[in-house]
Amino acid sequence: MTTTSITFDMPDLAACLDAATPEQLDSLDFGVIGFNLDTDVVLYNAFESQAAGLSQQRVLGQPLFTNVAPCLNNFMVAQRFEDAQLEGAVLDDTIDYVLTLRMRPVRVALRLLARAQGTHRYVLVQRQAR
Amino acid sequence: MNPDLAQVGAEYEALIQFLYLAPVGLVQADIDGEVAMMNPISAQLLMPLSRDGGLDNLFTALQDVAPELRTLCSSFTAPSGKICDGLHVHLNAGSAGKRVPQILSVTLLKLDGTRLMAVISDITEQVRRERLLRQNDAWFNAILTGITDYALVSLDAQGRLCDYNATIARVTGHTEAVLGQPYSIFYPPGASTPEHVHDRLREAIANGWTLDEGRRLRADGSAFWGSVMIAPLPDPEPGGAAFCLILRDITDKREAMESRRRETLGDHLTGLANRRAFFEAAEQELQRSQVMPRPTALIVIDADRFKTINDRHGHPGGDAVLRHLAGILGDTFREVDVVARIGGEEFAVLLPSTDLARAVVVAERLRASVAAHPALLDGEQVDYTVSAGVAAAMDGSGGVDLLLKQADRALYAAKRAGRNRVERWRPEMIANNDRHLDENSDAA
Repeated sequence: MTTTSITFDMPDLAACLDAATPEQLDSLDFGVIGFNLDTDVVLYNAFESQAAGLSQQRVLGQPLFTNVAPCLNNFMVAQRFEDAQLEGAVLDDTIDYVLTLRMRPVRVALRLLARAQGTHRYVLVQRQAR
Repeated sequence: MNPDLAQVGAEYEALIQFLYLAPVGLVQADIDGEVAMMNPISAQLLMPLSRDGGLDNLFTALQDVAPELRTLCSSFTAPSGKICDGLHVHLNAGSAGKRVPQILSVTLLKLDGTRLMAVISDITEQVRRERLLRQNDAWFNAILTGITDYALVSLDAQGRLCDYNATIARVTGHTEAVLGQPYSIFYPPGASTPEHVHDRLREAIANGWTLDEGRRLRADGSAFWGSVMIAPLPDPEPGGAAFCLILRDITDKREAMESRRRETLGDHLTGLANRRAFFEAAEQELQRSQVMPRPTALIVIDADRFKTINDRHGHPGGDAVLRHLAGILGDTFREVDVVARIGGEEFAVLLPSTDLARAVVVAERLRASVAAHPALLDGEQVDYTVSAGVAAAMDGSGGVDLLLKQADRALYAAKRAGRNRVERWRPEMIANNDRHLDENSDAA
């Protein structure tokens, strides 16, 4: 797989991300946050790290919704993952949201991905043109 | 990399993370609310409230739930200082979803002529605990103060007076003829319903006691400010006294109590109940109606083309119209009805023990009254109209949120059908989440 084939809105993206190398993920022009079933962050790509101003070592292994991105800890995002997990369902929603990157409110599109059997879940972040 | 620069970079990152993780919302905005900086908890708490999916302006993000913030800020004349401190903002009645805050606390600080800081936090749990404490305080207050001035009344299982004594004569002026009457005889007409009489008896049994305060009536029709506590008797005789009721005249404490009420439960502009008072009262009434089924109606009222009024007469003109409308609302409804301002130009009235048909009649009377009585602004007559949506529930199982959604859909239908109208909710109006009217279409 080549990096150029991974895009924010492509179908079946979770499988591609599972298979991608760290270098491929770091070359993407959108943010990728991967987390496990305990909600600990296992993947934090260079784009997201740069946008948020946080290095990967500060973030990896930390619980996503309380220690990394508390802004997502509401029914619009965290609850969706929780519901999907409880029901064993597939989650693939794209929503408009505002992230507070370096305390600046930034409009983004978030794609929320969870596969029924996957161990990795993803929040993908694409900045929206203003 | 230069070691100094690396050091600064590491400190910057630590500082950023400190702000990311702060467990309260922090916002810096300009004096008109345009957001310059905010931390993640702010976005967590405010995003669910945003109408347009953005958080560009703090006042806009909060306008549905705290319409007074903009006014509070613009009327704050000191060069700097606290504009509000821990203002309670009631979001909705909530349906027990654990991640849905119901009450936010908002503190606004004016830094200087151009900048504001806001602290926002979710205080849902804290308020719940405080409410319990307040009830306990009220109970001690009822027992320990003013014990020289009370009427002691025995009630039968149906809440009827079944014993007469000198204390009743002293406090209320009633004679023995009052025997056999329900205790609502002490309440002004319209301040209680037959269902409420029984609700409170049930609550007294469930909790050991029940207490309320408000306007009460003497036999000669004169009013006083009274507190009524009802407690079940431990061993009621069959057919005899089942409850004791203590009625106290606390007129001298009324001023202090009312000002506390106004502060926490009143809308600053209109003097009506605010969102918090409305949701508290509605929740309680709907819970009661689940125990003893009876209809409860909700009317949502919106001033038509309010944006045009604001554009033409400025915000002070708009405020005057809202106060005028509040006056008509107060005259139209009963004392037992809860009349509240729940949004900028949106009002809601909860009508206990009222079915849909009856509520539509009252809403229609309100609509006609507004259309017939223009507001006066500096001697100029301002004609305006309102639209209303009406919904009712037979039992409270759907909660106030569902009832509010249904009334909102009906209101939307009234707006669509040309305004200055009353519509009732019908099942074919789907009660979806999109409860906001398009500001532009309303102004069109």
